[in-house]
Amino acid sequence: MRRELVVFSLLLIAVALFAGCTSQPAATEKIKIGVVASLTGPASTTGKDVWESAQLAAAEINAQGGVFVRELNKKIPIELVAGDDESTREGGQKAVSRMITQDGVDMLVGGFSSAVVSAHQSIVADHKVPYIITGASTPVITRRDDVDTTFMFHHAPTTDDSGGQITLFLNDTVRPAINAKFGFQETRPLRLAVLYQDSPYGKGHQTAIKNTIANNSLKIDVVAEEAFKMGESDYRTVLTSIKNADPDVVYVAAFLNEQIPIETQAMRDVMLNKLFTAVEPNDDPDFYSGVGKYADYSIVQSRFSPYTVPKGPTEAASMKFVSDFDRKFGGFPGMMGVATYEGIYMGAKAVENAGTLNKTRVRDALAGLRMPQIVEAMQGGMITFSPDFRESKFDLTMEQLVWNETLKETRPHIVWPAGLAETQFVLPDWFVPGKA
Amino acid sequence: MEVGIDIIVQVLVWGLYAGCIYILLATGLNLIFGVMKVVNFAHGQLLMIGAYVTFSFFVVSGFNPYVLLAASIPILIILGVSIERLCFRPILGTGKLNEIFISIGLIYILENAAALIWTDEWRVIHSPFESITVPLAGMRIPVDYLIIIVTTAVILVALYSFLRKTSLGRAVRATSQNRKAAMLMGINVERMDMLSFGIGAGLAGAAGTLWVVSGQVFNPYMGSVPAIKAFAIVIIGGLGSIPGAIIGGLILGIAENFTIFTVGGAWKDAIAFLILIIVLVIRPTGLFGESGE
Repeated sequence: MRRELVVFSLLLIAVALFAGCTSQPAATEKIKIGVVASLTGPASTTGKDVWESAQLAAAEINAQGGVFVRELNKKIPIELVAGDDESTREGGQKAVSRMITQDGVDMLVGGFSSAVVSAHQSIVADHKVPYIITGASTPVITRRDDVDTTFMFHHAPTTDDSGGQITLFLNDTVRPAINAKFGFQETRPLRLAVLYQDSPYGKGHQTAIKNTIANNSLKIDVVAEEAFKMGESDYRTVLTSIKNADPDVVYVAAFLNEQIPIETQAMRDVMLNKLFTAVEPNDDPDFYSGVGKYADYSIVQSRFSPYTVPKGPTEAASMKFVSDFDRKFGGFPGMMGVATYEGIYMGAKAVENAGTLNKTRVRDALAGLRMPQIVEAMQGGMITFSPDFRESKFDLTMEQLVWNETLKETRPHIVWPAGLAETQFVLPDWFVPGKA
Repeated sequence: MEVGIDIIVQVLVWGLYAGCIYILLATGLNLIFGVMKVVNFAHGQLLMIGAYVTFSFFVVSGFNPYVLLAASIPILIILGVSIERLCFRPILGTGKLNEIFISIGLIYILENAAALIWTDEWRVIHSPFESITVPLAGMRIPVDYLIIIVTTAVILVALYSFLRKTSLGRAVRATSQNRKAAMLMGINVERMDMLSFGIGAGLAGAAGTLWVVSGQVFNPYMGSVPAIKAFAIVIIGGLGSIPGAIIGGLILGIAENFTIFTVGGAWKDAIAFLILIIVLVIRPTGLFGESGE
């Protein structure tokens, strides 16, 4: 019996070894893309969107026969490898390390949370693997100089982009509306309170607001700056503090799970009758259902909304993507999902342009990438990476949410920029301006 | 910047509200520790389960969520009794390390089970009284917070009456004071373990319901931070002391909120441990603790 067991074990080892040998040539016959996604932990809702959107893109590309690689003179399919960062820095390091060293991925796509991505960048840099980052929003990701980021490409609006745009909108549209409605002098500055997550993401917004005000000499006074811990759920006191500062507008730099209680507690508990702004990741169905009537007349920045599509060349592609995703997985893919979907297409295009899976040449192809916008509207209608910090630039919109009595939820209407506006920004009757 | 009395009152109300959640959690934790001398690190996850039980019944039945205390407390009592019987009783007395690892393991089991049943999306419900406010010191305070404060007081009075006025409660206290002597007096201490764990879990369930009713978001991973605060309160108030847990909870809730107001939200969690250090330096056994406990 014991001898049989030894023979069986040897046979099993031999089979495993042969299996390893035979699968080796096949490994070069596909493009292995590692998808860095928070499949478990607090950010798993977004992580699921990221992974499913990547699957949709890969399935579409493979249905067309795959990606043509000149070196092989044929089309080869994409194989996705899931890397669960567990919504933590350590989890991200483990996942990225495994995908690079054990799975042998040709490139990486995804990455959510500036903190999580920052923690595994050095591993990517050491192995020189092309990485299209579609989630983190701090500009530091591709601007830091303690890590070689030359293989990393940032396909998500940075906090500089988002913060700058919201601040310009407040100055150009909200400030004149308040001054006109309440008979203030045209020169009266907007009183702005900033409520930000105590993280690179939140601080990035805080910095962007200040820089935008200073660089453009905007008439905006920041009357309160309040931080909160990531994942906090009780904002009543911090909102009371903001109430005491008496602003016109509260700029919130928070994630979805934070934005909902912030706006709810502000309106319901603290009775803060001020305008609220939310940054782009909050334009999600869960935000509308979670915050309910408390988001009425609030402002949300967006680049991909579940309930409104900017008129223009990406309108049809956007609607098709949402419909295909819903059919395949059910639900709405979210902004991180759509960016990852585009990231897979961008990676495929870079391999095609490079004509090889050689990582350095794929990296060079990404650096020189120039492809038409896919789902999200890009500046100039093209996806390209800036030569200095390898950032793609999006066309962002500002939406105002209006209560829909039939749906019992608010719905967004684009109010900025003028070329895409569906309707004009309005001040609600309950709004009370800060005392100048 | 000037701060009016109305703003101070409002911060005080938020502090009392936060204190109520902490008190319920810390009192349960202390009861379990007092009787069993077991530190249940998964106590915050019981609050989370309480929140989900309330959410599920609310979605299915549409009942007033305050009424759902009648569901969350008994269900959590049953869960607590099951945990005590299946997890803690077999290893009781085999070493603190086993108890610690069992409770850490429970954190992951309960979180993953909740994620499996309810998914890990953030949830929120709205109280039917959310638009009702009452005047207080020149402010209008949502009635929900007053209901939460009163409900917590009622639960604590009921617990006090149970522990002081009933023979079963006296048996629990006797076990807590001296387990061996209680056994010699004929008290079934294992039954007391089961009862105290059940009551502790029930209080965490009540905290979960009140958390949900106040409009706070929750997901399967939300239990750890409140649990850490509850541990700090238990040490501040004194290990095994229920009055200590009540006073400690109130001190922490109010101190936290005035810290946010004066120093900023980033200091919220630090204040619990600052108070902890100060209390331990001045009185190493905690505010109501006795040496030797």
